[in-house]
Amino acid sequence: MFMKDQEVKVLEDLLEDVAPGDLILVHGPPKVGKSIFCYQFLYSGLEGGEPCLYIVADYGSRQLEQRMMEFNWFLRPYIQSGDVYIIDLLTRLAGVKVEDSVTLRFSSVQNLTDLMVKVGVGTRSLFRKSSKFRSVLDSLTMMFAFNPPSLVLRLVKAYKTRISEARGIGVVVHTIGTVEPSIETSLMDLADLKLCFDGEKIQIESSAGRRSAQYTITDNGIEFWGIK
Amino acid sequence: MVIELIVRISSGIPGLDELMGDGGGSFVDNTVTLIYGPPKVGKSIFSYQFAYEGLRNDEPCLYISTDYGLKDMERNIANFGWNLDEYIDNETFYLIDAISTIAGVEVESKPNYFLASVHNPTDIMVKLGMAIRQITSKASRFRSVLDSLTTLMAFNDEVLIVRVFTVYIMRIKESGGTAIVTYTEGSASCKVENMLKAIVDNIIHLDGENLTIEAMIGGGKIKAHYDITREGIIVD
Amino acid sequence: MKRTYIPKLDDILGGGIIDNASVMFSAVPGVDYEAFGYQMLNGRLRDGDKGFVFTNVAEPETIIYEFRSYGWNLEKFLEDNRAFFVDGTSPFMGLPSDAKYSIEDYSQVEEAILEAIEDVPDGIGVINNLSTLIDYLGEDETINIIKKWNLHGKKYNTSLVYLFTKWDYNFDLVQNLKKSMDCVVEIKTIEERVIIGQGFMVAHSSWSKPSDTMVLFFVVQPGGVKVYIPKILVTGPYNAGKSTFVKKISKRSVSVDRKALSAFPTTIALDIGHLEYKGFIADVFGTPGQERFDLLLDVLGRESVGAFIIVDSTAPQTFARAKEMIRKAKAEAIPKVLVANKQDLPGALSPEEIREKMKLGEDIPIIPAIVTEGKGVTDALEALLGLLYGD
Repeated sequence: MFMKDQEVKVLEDLLEDVAPGDLILVHGPPKVGKSIFCYQFLYSGLEGGEPCLYIVADYGSRQLEQRMMEFNWFLRPYIQSGDVYIIDLLTRLAGVKVEDSVTLRFSSVQNLTDLMVKVGVGTRSLFRKSSKFRSVLDSLTMMFAFNPPSLVLRLVKAYKTRISEARGIGVVVHTIGTVEPSIETSLMDLADLKLCFDGEKIQIESSAGRRSAQYTITDNGIEFWGIK
Repeated sequence: MVIELIVRISSGIPGLDELMGDGGGSFVDNTVTLIYGPPKVGKSIFSYQFAYEGLRNDEPCLYISTDYGLKDMERNIANFGWNLDEYIDNETFYLIDAISTIAGVEVESKPNYFLASVHNPTDIMVKLGMAIRQITSKASRFRSVLDSLTTLMAFNDEVLIVRVFTVYIMRIKESGGTAIVTYTEGSASCKVENMLKAIVDNIIHLDGENLTIEAMIGGGKIKAHYDITREGIIVD
Repeated sequence: MKRTYIPKLDDILGGGIIDNASVMFSAVPGVDYEAFGYQMLNGRLRDGDKGFVFTNVAEPETIIYEFRSYGWNLEKFLEDNRAFFVDGTSPFMGLPSDAKYSIEDYSQVEEAILEAIEDVPDGIGVINNLSTLIDYLGEDETINIIKKWNLHGKKYNTSLVYLFTKWDYNFDLVQNLKKSMDCVVEIKTIEERVIIGQGFMVAHSSWSKPSDTMVLFFVVQPGGVKVYIPKILVTGPYNAGKSTFVKKISKRSVSVDRKALSAFPTTIALDIGHLEYKGFIADVFGTPGQERFDLLLDVLGRESVGAFIIVDSTAPQTFARAKEMIRKAKAEAIPKVLVANKQDLPGALSPEEIREKMKLGEDIPIIPAIVTEGKGVTDALEALLGLLYGD
């Protein structure tokens, strides 16, 4: 099912201050719709011809597909065409033997060096497909549980550099309150655009200023209104 | 295009399934639900009901118990008029008992009854693996209960338990299970509590009077009144 | 001396590493370099030495699987007790470990490695990964521990190999780390917006004076670390001086050609050369000038990392042909340098005039040359290397 033109337009309005090479920090308490926003960002990009690198770090790639299906966003055709490049950090923990394919790579939430290798391969592959691409890291929560927080911060910096070198738009998702305030502050400082979700409103903060919008989660994804 | 039917797992709590998912649902298959709240609000009872609902319908249940050993569980469940013996005998109920050995209780292990210790989460994971292998050789779908995270965190480093919990979640999901996990609100640090809420799929809060669905895949936030009766929890 | 089993590395190090050397592979994030440590271990095990792997990033099972994907059998050595793991990963996740040493707490790591070193005298230990240690234990603590490990390694004649991912650590820490090692191999990326290649070079070694050669490599499964020899294309219109250029830049070259019965000998097959300049190693392919051989351009162009386009500065009527060859060789997508040859002849256009006539962008350097005299050849090489490696 295709995204309604209206929905895509609203998403673009929200992100009008974003330029290629920027890092967007999507943050807020647990369960407010941060991941759903990412799926929307991913899917509207795919439909607009922008391939996407998706790093699933809090759940598995199968769950990614299942969750998106709840909104009638079907990822499989894009996985097969190579427009989506998925890096799955958790499924190996299940102890199952997993096989890499060209567009689905398995790594470990604890091996950040290996994650960056796969990010490098993924960005190269997507850069060759299209000069405009998107990247999502969903999310930092489990990475903070499995690695020293300072190392995770270093990874975010390296990720930002890699994506922005290739002129992609990078998104990083963070659950507020899962790490020390000093780390959170450093994280905020890295972002070019900050989207704060609180369950009802989204605050958009960038060097261009602050805006906000109301939102609700529906069967078709997140609906925004009242952007000011 | 293949249309996948989204399978639902009934909660076993009368009145609850009608609330979940717009227009009624139940838990989505292969999800993990956090049942949390203050002490003594019915979290364990919720767990028994969830387990029993599956057992009654020939769905195996893998139960990890850190507060009540086998004998206590049998007695608690019998109070509500449910009988666990049948399912222990026909090996659809699998129990990882992480408390009896500590309490010094003499028990024998069986193919579907594993002894472990809250002090040794690694060993619990080993038993988990053994139980899952047995269950998946017989069934493609099963339920699991982890009751409770709080006790595990009391005896081990909290973040270690978050990691162990992550492994538990991935193993359950990859082998076809649907799980509920209990946790006493405020028993761990804020940081860890936020992590828990972030990594589960659904969150149900009990406070003694009201049940609040704070997050549910395929559904929205809903609040309702509940009672603990002689037949278990009933939602209005 | 012990070998490293990494192609070219032993040559650069003067034969290999001293037995009790501490070696650090310092790689920028994004490079696949774990294979360096594993390849060294595998080689030593096959030679009869003992060895261990300390891991805090992957479970032993995963590492065994990785060895297998390279075509190496670690399990055999584990069974024979010639190799073992110091497992800093499984207990951390609450998973069981049957490794010889397993570390539940980072306070145990120093002692565990000391014991592991004692278990492999004259052998090798691989530490994967140092960065995680630094962020757990802190910078000073880690440096202290490393010094103790290296001292112990000297005592038991054990080589210690450290894998270090160079995240944004502060400069002083990295310098201190390097100083505490006998040998440091830096691993870098080659980038054009995205990573298009990777190379290693020895930053220092306490027993030899290594050249500053950067060796391009790739990691294959099976196989491990292999040296990558890129192809450089030399193309251009008929009679511009390509063959001569290939001969001038190559240490040794082969021309397969047939002297045609005409005033100018023409290449009807390829000029192939091998180039080694300031540590850059490449195979050079010079193409025939005539249009009927253009499909070769397509094939060679696809595999080249850079190109020289040689034009005769006195023959502007051939410029259009030059542009066409650039397009056919898909050289648009790779770094390239235009060599404006025959500058000594009357009527030779200057580089600026050529740029104007060919409407070439400023991103393509135009180097004036008299190839027969070797003039401009080095400048052209420097220009291309500058494009390939950036600054």
